[in-house]
Amino acid sequence: MGEVEAFAPGTLSDKIDGKADLYLSAGFVSLRDQRVSVSAGAGSWMEMFVYDMGLPANAFSVFSSQRRPRAADAAIADYSYEADNELCLVHGRYYVELVCSDSSDAASRAAEAVARAYVGATAVAEHADIGAEEALFPSEGLVAGSVALVPSDVFGFDRLKNVFVARYRVGGDEVTLFAAKRGTPGEAAKEAAELRGFFVVDCGGAETPAPPGPPGAAIIDLGGSFEAVFAMGPYVAGVHQAADRDSAQRWLAVLGRRIPGGNP
Amino acid sequence: MNPSAPGPEPVATRREFFRRGLRAGAAIAATGGLGAWLLDRHPPGDFGRTQGRDLRMDFGVRSAGPGMAIATGRDRPGMLRRALAALGGIERFIARGDRVMLKVNAAFATPALLGATTHPELLAELVRLCRAAGAASVVVTDNPINTPESCFELSGIGGAARSAGADLFIPRPGSFRAGTLPGGRLIRDWPVLDEPFAGVTKLIGVAPVKGHHRAGASMTIKNWYGLLGGRRNQFHQDIDGIIVELAMLVKPTLVVLDGTDSMMTNGPTGGSLADLKETNTLIVGTDPVATDAFGATLLGKTFRDLPYLVRAGELGLGATDFESLKPARVPAPAT
Repeated sequence: MGEVEAFAPGTLSDKIDGKADLYLSAGFVSLRDQRVSVSAGAGSWMEMFVYDMGLPANAFSVFSSQRRPRAADAAIADYSYEADNELCLVHGRYYVELVCSDSSDAASRAAEAVARAYVGATAVAEHADIGAEEALFPSEGLVAGSVALVPSDVFGFDRLKNVFVARYRVGGDEVTLFAAKRGTPGEAAKEAAELRGFFVVDCGGAETPAPPGPPGAAIIDLGGSFEAVFAMGPYVAGVHQAADRDSAQRWLAVLGRRIPGGNP
Repeated sequence: MNPSAPGPEPVATRREFFRRGLRAGAAIAATGGLGAWLLDRHPPGDFGRTQGRDLRMDFGVRSAGPGMAIATGRDRPGMLRRALAALGGIERFIARGDRVMLKVNAAFATPALLGATTHPELLAELVRLCRAAGAASVVVTDNPINTPESCFELSGIGGAARSAGADLFIPRPGSFRAGTLPGGRLIRDWPVLDEPFAGVTKLIGVAPVKGHHRAGASMTIKNWYGLLGGRRNQFHQDIDGIIVELAMLVKPTLVVLDGTDSMMTNGPTGGSLADLKETNTLIVGTDPVATDAFGATLLGKTFRDLPYLVRAGELGLGATDFESLKPARVPAPAT
C-alpha cells in the first residue's frame, strides 16, 4: 500500500510534527514506517511505526509516557498494550506502534499477527526491563500501567530528566510518586535541592515544617497542592501533587522505606 | 496590527505559569517547561524593517464585525449550519463571486476517525455552504510536508473536497514565495504558500481541537503553520513564538474549530481512539484568538495555560476573554 519511509532526527517532525520533541528528548535514532492493507478487512489498513530509540530504557520511556487510558496489556513483547485501534510495544531498543484505520476485530487480529511476526524476526541485544525501578514503588494503591519514565521537563522543571513516576489512588487520595537514580549521592542531593528551589522560587511555594522522614525531606505548599522531595543515597525521589500536607507526609514515609538504604 | 515590545513580566505571573504546569494533572512533563516561559521574555524583532515581500494576509470582513458562535451536538454539518446562522448566515462573510480558500489540517495520513485532521464531513458542508452563497471558486489546501497526496486521500479530505465541488491544491516546491512578517523575528525571508492564493478573496481556517506535545494545544492559529514552507521544523524550538507570529500573519475571514471530539492526549498525531474525548462542540468565529481561547476549555485548560494565546492577547491580536465577544450559544436541536 505504501513504500517504507525512513526518518532521522532532523526529519522526524516532517512525519509526526510536534510530537517529534517527545522522541528526540528520549534519545531517538531513527524511524521506519510503512502502511499496509489488512487483507481480512474491507478497506482496512494499518501503519507500522518502528522507532529505534537507541536503548531499551529510551524505548520504554516513549512507550510509557504515551500509554493510552484504555490500554490493555497485550503480552507480546518486553512491554505491550492494545488500545482500541492501536497496538504498541517495546522490543529491546525498538518502540513499535501499529495504528489501524479502524477498531474492527479483523484489524486488531492483523495488528497482533504483525506484532508477533516482528518480534519473532527481530533480534535485539538487550531487552527492556524496568523491574528494578518498579521495585522502588509500593504496590498498594498503584494505578495499573502507570509506571512511566519521563525523559525531560519533568513537572515543568527543565533540569529534571529521566525520572520514573507512578500514580497512586487510595480511596479519595491520589498522588504521583517519583524516583530516579543518579550517578552519585552528591548528584542526587544537588538535584533534590534544585527541584526544591524550583518549587519555592519559580512556583512561589512555601516550605512547611520538616517532616519526620526521610532525612532532609521537604514538603512545599503550593496553595492547593503539596510537593515533596528528598535525596537518599544516589536516589532523588518525592511526591507530586498531594492534596494535603498529611498525604504528602504519609506517602513520603512509604516511598522512603522503598528506596535502597531507607528504613524498611 | 501594532504590536509593542513587552516589558519585564511580573514574578507573580511567571509563578502562576509554573504552578499551572504543575497542576496539569496527567501532563507530568509540563508542556514547554521553562523554555516556553522564557520565550515570552524575548522582544519581537525589528519593527518597521521589512526584508522582501510583506507576508501579512488580511481577509477579514470589516462590515461583519467580531462574532463567535458555539454550537453543541454530534452532527458536524448541522452544528456548522447552526453556528453560521447564529452569526447572521454565511452570506455575511462570503459574497457572490468570492474566491474562497479553505485551509484545512491535513498534516497526517490518518483516518478521519482519529481526529488528527479536519473532518471530511465538516469540510464538505463548508464547501457546499460557500458554493451556495455564490462563491465562484473554493480551493482546499494544506502543506503536509510528508506524502501530501496520502495525507489528503487517507484523511478523506481530498474526496470530500472534490465531491462537494471544491478544487484541491497540493503544494509543490514552486508554490511558495519568500517574504517577511513585519514585526516578526522568526518569519523573515521565509517561504510561505503563495500560488493557491492567486485571486483568493476570502480565507477560512478549519481545524480540529487537539492537545499538542510541544505547544499545549493545536487549534485554529496553529493551523496556519501549514502555510509555511522550507525547513519549518526548526520553528518547533520556539513553538509559542511561531504561533504568535502566525496570529500576526493571518487575519482570516472566519475560523471553524471542531471540538466534536477533542484529542486530549498524545497530540498532535494521536493514533488511538482512546486519545479522543467527545466534547460535542463546534465554534465558528472571526477572531482566532477568542476561538482558540474557548477551544482551550475543551481540553481542560484556559488561555493562561497556553503562552502563545497569552502573548497574542497582549499584542492585541484578538480577545483571550472570549466572553467579551458575547458568543451565541447554539444548543443541539431537541430530538
